[in-house]
Amino acid sequence: MKRETDYGHPIKTFYHPKDIEGLDYNRDLGDPGSYPYTRGYYPDGYRKRVWTQRMTAGLGSSKQTNEVLRRYREMGQRGGMLVICDRTNAMPIDPDHPIGRREAGVLGWPGASLYEFEQLMDDIPLTGQSITLLGSCAMSSIRLAYIVALAEKRGIHLKDVHGSVTEYPFCTTFGQTDAQPLDLDLKLWLDSSEYIVRNKIRMRSGILSQHFQESGGNNAQALAVEMAMLKELCGLLVHERGLDFDDVALLPYELVSVGSRFFEDIAKIRALRRMWAKMARETFKAKKEKSCQLLISVHTSGRTMTYQQPLNNIARCAIQTLAGAIAGCTAIDNACLDNAHAEPSPLAARMSLNTQHIVADETGVTDVADPLAGSYFVEYLTNKVEEEAYKIWNKIEEIGGMIAAVEKGFVQKMLKESAQEKHREVESGERLVVGVNELVIPPEEDFQIPIQELKTGDSEEIARRMEEWKKTRNMPLINQKIAQLYVDAKKEDTYNLMPSIIEAVKAYATAGEIIGVIRKARGLSYDPLQAIDCPFDL
Amino acid sequence: MGKRKGIKVLVSVIGLDGHSTGAEIVSRMLMDAGMEVVYLGIYQTPEMIVQAAIQEDVDVIGISSHASNYGQIVDLLGLLKKNHLNDIHVICGGTIPNQQAQELKKKGVSEIFLPQSTSTSIVNYIESNVKRPDV
Repeated sequence: MKRETDYGHPIKTFYHPKDIEGLDYNRDLGDPGSYPYTRGYYPDGYRKRVWTQRMTAGLGSSKQTNEVLRRYREMGQRGGMLVICDRTNAMPIDPDHPIGRREAGVLGWPGASLYEFEQLMDDIPLTGQSITLLGSCAMSSIRLAYIVALAEKRGIHLKDVHGSVTEYPFCTTFGQTDAQPLDLDLKLWLDSSEYIVRNKIRMRSGILSQHFQESGGNNAQALAVEMAMLKELCGLLVHERGLDFDDVALLPYELVSVGSRFFEDIAKIRALRRMWAKMARETFKAKKEKSCQLLISVHTSGRTMTYQQPLNNIARCAIQTLAGAIAGCTAIDNACLDNAHAEPSPLAARMSLNTQHIVADETGVTDVADPLAGSYFVEYLTNKVEEEAYKIWNKIEEIGGMIAAVEKGFVQKMLKESAQEKHREVESGERLVVGVNELVIPPEEDFQIPIQELKTGDSEEIARRMEEWKKTRNMPLINQKIAQLYVDAKKEDTYNLMPSIIEAVKAYATAGEIIGVIRKARGLSYDPLQAIDCPFDL
Repeated sequence: MGKRKGIKVLVSVIGLDGHSTGAEIVSRMLMDAGMEVVYLGIYQTPEMIVQAAIQEDVDVIGISSHASNYGQIVDLLGLLKKNHLNDIHVICGGTIPNQQAQELKKKGVSEIFLPQSTSTSIVNYIESNVKRPDV
């Protein structure tokens, strides 16, 4: 069995004070609540507020997803809701698109219009819980517009809504794909981010290492890529959009993938807090302490959930949840026992939420902040992963930053090689995975778990419903708003499209229509898949 | 059809599924085993896959699936039949629930490789089931 970190650093049989020689408590750790925040942001840890315990929802129609959300609330999910969009919406194309109608509702919620969002949120409060909508980057500005529009309709002050509905432009490189070019994703992300910051909306934007790591990246690489993305994106908001860093710093949130390397995953999160704090203060000259505190959520790793003997995943999920809790985070969403089979079944969702409550309420982990601080091993690993991450991050900076490193394929190549290596390690037996290459049982002896899946006709039904609904819209109003959007989208990249997107969304223009028109204004085909023509006379 | 030495495999992701890691890893393992691989990447429709299979004269089509869009795999099988390409083996891999896997096999998928299948099992299956054309 391999005795190395997942980034290839050898692990000794034990650690002693010499391994962390030179560690200065105040400079490198600080008490919880003190710079550089290695030990977390709160002196009282979780005592005042336990992390938000939530589960991903999204499959089938808006009505079906709404029912799941209501069920989760009954299961005790009150602090925040988390919905992931379907494959059509990630692109985005509309469910009634000839290719979309084959996959609407697959892997998520088909959130192609304000009408769908209203159904999703039926009888679900927009305030008093965090609203998180996940998906691709291209939809960011439209999802933000849904929030603005629904808050207005319900007579709620926008400042009372909190959560995150926008996502970073690099996700498309790491498996969370959309069909838009990087420059368009970047522009739409900057527009939505600038709108959030200028209007002081309490909405975060996901700048996540989770997609990278779930695609096969290792812990040191994930830290490096995260920091490189944060530096470039925050830098653009400060330098190109003229925003104050102390306002910008309230925008990003990071979703860390916590896998099965228990101590390394904890070390990674501790190192991340320290690295962000230093960058905020030293590079961006942050004036406020809050700006030095990167909001961090945890996603327990779907990648580590095995198809074989799925009940074993309950144990994996529990260990990873404990790691996330020990490391310190704002929210956790778990992978489920059926992660390698389908979207969470009610049984899997309940197990997963219960796992979080068991960890929070029965282990004592919420009593003490950063309980592993001072462990020779954990402090050594924290230093090591930071050191390795700085090396990789420096390489990215030498290429010219994250955008340049993606355009040159550096990051993709690093990710691909790491994924190949992880596969090779399991195949050769250097890393053991119970049920996969150790303690294997014949498939017919395996426990059959309940599977939640879409029926073949479901996608077509979602598509037909949209076709019918589209005919009922106020087309003169839509045409007017779309024409304005088209004119605005032809202006320079720093011209913020959020106001005209919000107007189009309120008029019930769809995601496919809005992105299509923006694409057309930029000289691209209306339909990214080139199967349909632009329905508007522009 | 031209003469060739080895087995030729087309590897693709189908529909709007963006999970490409599995397909990339399998492509690499097939190449390492001496097979010729045509990797189409993501966002491929059944029509695009069949067209590429004809153009490239492949023996096997490997579809990586992580998004429960099985309907399109069934469409692909139909299109192959329509084009009299019944001799091309279609194999699938990925997170495919057991019941769906059985359905797909009934409809004509030759074999399904579940997550964490070994290189050896995939390579051996292809080598022992694909009749090589005359050299």
